Amino acid sequence: MPIVSCAFPGGVRSHNKLAAIARKLRLVVLEMAKIDPNIHVGASLSVLDVLVTLYFGRGLRYDGSLERDWVILSKGHAVPALYAILAEMGVLQPELLMKIRSVNGLEGHPSRETPCIDVSTGSLGQGLSIAAGIAYALKLRGVEDRYRVYTILGDGELDEGQVWEAAATIAHLKLRSVVAIVDVNGYQLDGPTEIVKYKGNIASKWEAFGWKTIVIDGHDYEMILSALDEADRVGGPIAVIAYTRRGRGVGFLEARGAQHISK
Amino acid sequence: MRRVEHSTSPSKWTSMRDAVARALVELGYHDDALVVVTADVAKSTRSQWFGKHHPGRLVNVGISEQDMAGFAAGLALAGYKPYIVAFAMFLLRAWEQIRNSIDRMNLDVHIIGTHSGLSNYTDGSSHQVLEDIAVMRAMINMRVYVPADPLQAYSMVHRLHWEEGPIYIRVARDDTPVITDGEFTPGKLEVLRDGSDVALVSAGPLLANCLEAAEILGIEGLDVAVVNLHTVKPIDVQGLVKLASKTGLLVVVEEHTPYGGIYGAIAEVLAHEKPTLMIPVHPRGYGKSARSLRELHLHMRLDPISIANQVREAVRKWRG
Repeated sequence: MPIVSCAFPGGVRSHNKLAAIARKLRLVVLEMAKIDPNIHVGASLSVLDVLVTLYFGRGLRYDGSLERDWVILSKGHAVPALYAILAEMGVLQPELLMKIRSVNGLEGHPSRETPCIDVSTGSLGQGLSIAAGIAYALKLRGVEDRYRVYTILGDGELDEGQVWEAAATIAHLKLRSVVAIVDVNGYQLDGPTEIVKYKGNIASKWEAFGWKTIVIDGHDYEMILSALDEADRVGGPIAVIAYTRRGRGVGFLEARGAQHISK
Repeated sequence: MRRVEHSTSPSKWTSMRDAVARALVELGYHDDALVVVTADVAKSTRSQWFGKHHPGRLVNVGISEQDMAGFAAGLALAGYKPYIVAFAMFLLRAWEQIRNSIDRMNLDVHIIGTHSGLSNYTDGSSHQVLEDIAVMRAMINMRVYVPADPLQAYSMVHRLHWEEGPIYIRVARDDTPVITDGEFTPGKLEVLRDGSDVALVSAGPLLANCLEAAEILGIEGLDVAVVNLHTVKPIDVQGLVKLASKTGLLVVVEEHTPYGGIYGAIAEVLAHEKPTLMIPVHPRGYGKSARSLRELHLHMRLDPISIANQVREAVRKWRG
């Protein structure tokens, strides 16, 4: 495996340019879905604009040391979106993307063995606790104001009690480097969140736990950028509640809120 | 090695949780990366001592065991050396977090489960874990250790600190007689008493009862070995084969269900290395509240006389 840099310079502030990158990567995700229809296309497409804006707009500071920005994709099933980004940056070979979910290819959920993936996830509800530990480490090193620990969760994932254990711990310890981004696409595995388990007012829940919240349209690059800017400027913990659409950008998926192209 | 005094009375040395906490306080002076994470049991586990000596390096996440496991994983990922110190029973509710967020990434997290087995005699069955060895050693990377007494618990925590990867150490609460000289050699079973007729194998505080049982049987002319299996995983295959070859009969005594504890661990090895008759001695059903550990051991037939009776019975059957 060649040594790669996991630094993402960011700096793409043009909405047109971000949209162009996202459009290109949506096609990459669909290509992966053609190869393995089991991948979670719908969830990958709902979170794609947020991830593109994070990696290409805001950028990530990474110099190989442990003092850096961290990203935890707690809703690990959306990893195809992340693979598309890593390939676009030259971290992953494009051929590797076509080996998604193959034993000698890429894992179906984030694995720390993949370059530039910080944390192995896949079991929902565990990412935010890990973020808390990392943020505490940054605090002990005295660099918590220089870096951010981004954790991307799904709205279905909020059913997990551990998320709220972590939310309380982070607020109690005032871990201000933590930025939780909730991809509210309105669906979970068994169907619409309204039917499977009503989520209530998501922003109010985080606020009740002592978090600052920013509610945005998760497909509006300007809103995503300004939310990430604010998370950098103001100390957290901050929860960005990003309302999105499952299957965004692919008509036949988006219309049905579908997860898989074959169903 | 800097030693730290916490207790005025030497009787405190009969407490495993105290011994572990002392070791952690001392290690904290040698390793700036050591951070202790607990879940509202800082007092009960004595991990608050660590917090007093090393401000900022004790994290209490409240009654949130799942979060505690993930928090420790995050610390390890970011270059720290976290210890989870909590009741063995309740950290098991984070088994899946330990499996997916710690063991799967082979992270450098040491887990100390206190109040294990029947040692929390007063609180009753909800607090008395009898399954932890089975589920902890079921993980791919996790290594499992059970010290025999406070001295061994103390040296074990010191010795294992510099080992990498996930480790589970099962310790008792208080009231543990000192039966070792504190020596601890990882990976090697420890013969506490030599004998050729039958071997009593155990781990943890029950070894004291086993030694007494061996004394009783010795008077009757039975030559009983007592073996301390402090390293449950990776298990000492050679040592067990040697032991089985010598005695031909093992009686395994543990504060654990008969499913997957040290009885299971030994059987898994001897089944293909040296098939040997093994008799399990374990608590009958869930535990109970008791006024003393002795009372509970009597109720569970894990007291020295009951163990001796079961060994005598095993030998009689075996000899036909």
